[in-house]
Amino acid sequence: MHFDGEQTIKTPIEKVWAYFMDPNAVAQCAPGFKSMEVISPTHFKPTLSVGVGVVKATFTLDVHLVDLTEPNHAAMQAHGMAAGSGVDMRAAMDLTSESATVTHMNWTADVNVSGTIASMGARLLEGTAHKLTANFFDCIRTKLEGG
Amino acid sequence: MTSTKTQSVTLSINGQEYTANVEARLLLVHFIREVANQTGTHIGCDTTSCGACTVLINGVPGKSCTVFAVQVDGAQISTVEGLEQNNTLHPVQQGFFEEHGLQCGFCTPGMMMTAVALLQRNPDPTELEIRQAISGNLCRCTGYVNIVKSIQYAAKQMREAQADKVPVAAGAEGGAA
Amino acid sequence: MTSTPIRGMGHSVKRKEDPRFLRGKGNYVDDVKLPGMLYMDIVRSPYAHAKILNIDASKALALPGVLAVITGKDLDAAGLAWMPTLMGDKQMVLPVDRVVYQAQEVAAVIATERYIAADGVALVEVEYEPLTPLVDPKKAMDADAPLVRPDREDKTNHIWHWEAGDAAATDAIFQQAEVVVHEDLYIPRIHVCSIETCGCVASWDRVNEKLTIYMTTQAPHVIRTVFSLVSKIPEHKIRIISPDIGGGFGGKVPVYPGYVIATVATLTTGHPIKWIEDRSENLQADSFARDYHISADLAAKADGTIQALRVKTLADHGAFDAAANPSKFPAGLFSIVTGSYNLQAAHVEVDGVYTNKPSGGVAYRCSFRVTEAVHTIERMVDSLALQLHRDPAALRFQNFIQPEQFPYHSPTGWEYDSGNYPAALTLAMDRIGYADLRREQAEKRARGELMGIGISTFTEIVGAGPSDTFDILGIKMFDSAEIRVHPTGSAIVRIGVQSQGQGHETTFAQIVAEELGLPVENITVEHGDTDTAPYGLGTYASRSTPTAGAATAVASRKIREKARHIAAHLLEVGPDDLEWENHQFQVKGVPSKAVTMTQIAFAAYTNHPKGMEAGLEAVDYYDPPNLTFPFGAYICVVDIDRGTGEVKIRRFVAVDDCGNIINPMIVEGQIHGGLTMGMAPALLEAITYDENGNIQQGSLMDYLLPTAMETPAWETAKTTTPSPHHPFGAKGVGESATVGAPPAIANAVVDALSHLGVTHIDIPITPWKVYQILEAAGAAEA
Repeated sequence: MHFDGEQTIKTPIEKVWAYFMDPNAVAQCAPGFKSMEVISPTHFKPTLSVGVGVVKATFTLDVHLVDLTEPNHAAMQAHGMAAGSGVDMRAAMDLTSESATVTHMNWTADVNVSGTIASMGARLLEGTAHKLTANFFDCIRTKLEGG
Repeated sequence: MTSTKTQSVTLSINGQEYTANVEARLLLVHFIREVANQTGTHIGCDTTSCGACTVLINGVPGKSCTVFAVQVDGAQISTVEGLEQNNTLHPVQQGFFEEHGLQCGFCTPGMMMTAVALLQRNPDPTELEIRQAISGNLCRCTGYVNIVKSIQYAAKQMREAQADKVPVAAGAEGGAA
Repeated sequence: MTSTPIRGMGHSVKRKEDPRFLRGKGNYVDDVKLPGMLYMDIVRSPYAHAKILNIDASKALALPGVLAVITGKDLDAAGLAWMPTLMGDKQMVLPVDRVVYQAQEVAAVIATERYIAADGVALVEVEYEPLTPLVDPKKAMDADAPLVRPDREDKTNHIWHWEAGDAAATDAIFQQAEVVVHEDLYIPRIHVCSIETCGCVASWDRVNEKLTIYMTTQAPHVIRTVFSLVSKIPEHKIRIISPDIGGGFGGKVPVYPGYVIATVATLTTGHPIKWIEDRSENLQADSFARDYHISADLAAKADGTIQALRVKTLADHGAFDAAANPSKFPAGLFSIVTGSYNLQAAHVEVDGVYTNKPSGGVAYRCSFRVTEAVHTIERMVDSLALQLHRDPAALRFQNFIQPEQFPYHSPTGWEYDSGNYPAALTLAMDRIGYADLRREQAEKRARGELMGIGISTFTEIVGAGPSDTFDILGIKMFDSAEIRVHPTGSAIVRIGVQSQGQGHETTFAQIVAEELGLPVENITVEHGDTDTAPYGLGTYASRSTPTAGAATAVASRKIREKARHIAAHLLEVGPDDLEWENHQFQVKGVPSKAVTMTQIAFAAYTNHPKGMEAGLEAVDYYDPPNLTFPFGAYICVVDIDRGTGEVKIRRFVAVDDCGNIINPMIVEGQIHGGLTMGMAPALLEAITYDENGNIQQGSLMDYLLPTAMETPAWETAKTTTPSPHHPFGAKGVGESATVGAPPAIANAVVDALSHLGVTHIDIPITPWKVYQILEAAGAAEA
């Protein structure tokens, strides 16, 4: 599944970048976030509980930040397993300064889900994934603009 | 992991009481089939879609695969094994026999329990009402035509038996008032 | 004279199976409980194609109640990680290093309780390295296609190529043809989804060294032989019991890995092991049906005479060729595709390919691919009718094989035993009021209302089969019956076929009742236990009445022949002075001098002639001389809602001819059920996969079985054209309706929309599909 979006954040670009580089800050917006192991500044393992339709699964994701070009471009690769389900995700974000206090973000995400969640929740999968992804970026924007 | 927590539950199944210590997650259908050893109620799916597990819970049809035994602690459960009384088949059972309403027999207990509940609330259903009532019970063998006929047969038997029971109006017969 | 009526052939005897089913006293596999029984549940792959890097069962094994976790490595050590398939391929029981379809069995957990086994499954951690799956069979032969089966010597996804008919003769006709019609058809993957899923209870008795397995199987003897060959346990020490089966439809013919793993588990633990799959496991991993990509051409004269047929098919077989076909027929009986028509030539080609999907192909009541064949020819004939502006009924009458042409040699090599297609279609048209419907359709069309009439005149081919061409893994496809008559005139019949709802305990008793003149109440039929039943090939592909039914009649006649001599002895006449009339032996010309089978039976044990063996029994293994060819004419009327695209079946008349009928009530029930399983793929059911190989219909929430609301009130009628070679002229009928119905419905929908330019629609014809067509044609209602 492929999703993309854009938004304008009333926050300077450096602050936006710093936020994304702080896994604990980002984790606050991750759907169903339960806990996280931070292995390095670019490698961490969050545990998320996510549901699609009647199937709820607790995933442990192995996340790597890659392609870091401060403050404009960052990408993320994640691979995760839950009992009977697997998820692979690659997301990327491009930031540009619209002004000293306003940042424009373009993001893309490619998500592959396999197993029980995909086969039991097939009809709802795309909608749910889209919603979770959109919520995530909305949440980030809110947190950035708020504080 | 320590020993699993259980709690006591008592169910009356076809008039007989069964008390057991069960896990909270034990499905009613498994209580019926494994604890009470009544294997007439069957399991046909895992998404509450097929109705093979239909029983009456306090007279109301319910899918026993989607109910925990502890949820219905103290309830009266009716299953297919309780339909025959005094060596006489229930009219619904008789209908299914006469009208060839079953082939492999796997969906039949659930189908009959739904029919019993239907006829209790609607003694003279139309064909559409019968089909609506059994729309939650899947059958792969019969194509439903003879199931509808079986239920119509039972409905007729039950209405006639009821008519026989209706007391004659007071004073209509000669004799003491 | 017998006072109790015999009620043999042709009687709608109420079923002997019913008393236990109606009381909830059936004995299905999940009802079997043995002392010390353990439970098995299976860890399944979320990926359609992946390497297995590691399996960590430690957390599962640490759970109290979990006794063992079996993996491919464990089976491999015993040489059991792979098993042979019925088509000469091999299939993984449990993988050692890679999985090849989503929901593939990866490990098995053995536990003391059902729920603990499921908990154990959730605790087994498998590390996968996902690989790109091959999901589109049309890409299977691409140079860069993922290789599904690196274990095979030939590093290709191509399994086999199969042909029938005469390519040169067919090409010659096409070159000269005045009219050629072409269609591409896709018949999607579907799943039988019998209400009972698959499972077994495997029990090893280590004292007596005997393996007993209760199994949802349609062919217990074949299973016993295969298990003996693979396990090296001698066959007389294996007992396969097929108890009450909650629907088979072909889905319970294959050997599923679960059966084998449960067997290994009982052999190693010494405890009975129960394995019952969930519905979602059943849908996601068990044997599918159809999945044929077909390209067909029909050559005809301008006057509508059909001359030749050319069919090319791509068969998606999933990751293993485990279809349950007779071994010489990788594409089943697909070459029946010339149908009920008098073609001059035909050429049929099928290529099987591997994909990363579960294996199978011939489940779902298809008579070994006859559903695919009939759908093809019936759609092509309608396409030709549309192109030539001919009425589809008239075009069929023009091209039918005529009654006097039987036995008929088809261009693909079949000898149809008997048939009368014009009579069946005439009756169907009469019953439905065809002429009036066409008038109504014209009026409705003028008002913009969408109504369609679809016809299907099919020829089935069942009763596999003669030993010169038919075998399963080398075992010839005869079938058997063993009959023993007791002194007091009742009988026990044991047969080699296995009912899953077809009512054999009643119908086979009726055969014997008819042949021996014993009341049907006095005859018990047993089946499904390999310790007692004579060797049979099982029940599927509508073969029971043609093969085991014939064996039952022939065995009965052997008994009757011996009975004749006992009767002669009792009546003090010569055997040739007797005739079998009124279900008894009568002296010719002196019918009052008679003796019944009940009297003869008693004499067989108390007063048998000197020099003759006592007792009254016989066995027959019947090798059918040919297949049988049931046929029918179906007409379907549909109304289409222009606002939603929903297709409503207003009426459906099914005229079936299955030769002589044993029990009309049971035959009608088979047809009702078959029609419903024909409507389902036509309008509701399909199994599809996304680009990652994820099944999109993994549960009954998404795989839509017909309920009593979608299913119309089927109307049935019959003609009777007996099979000339069958002992009592019967043909078999279990699958006819599933074969004949889908094209009747598809043809009706195309007929409803043809004035909008529609010439073909693939099944399933969902409301969304129809709505898009209406929208594109400007005919949708807002």
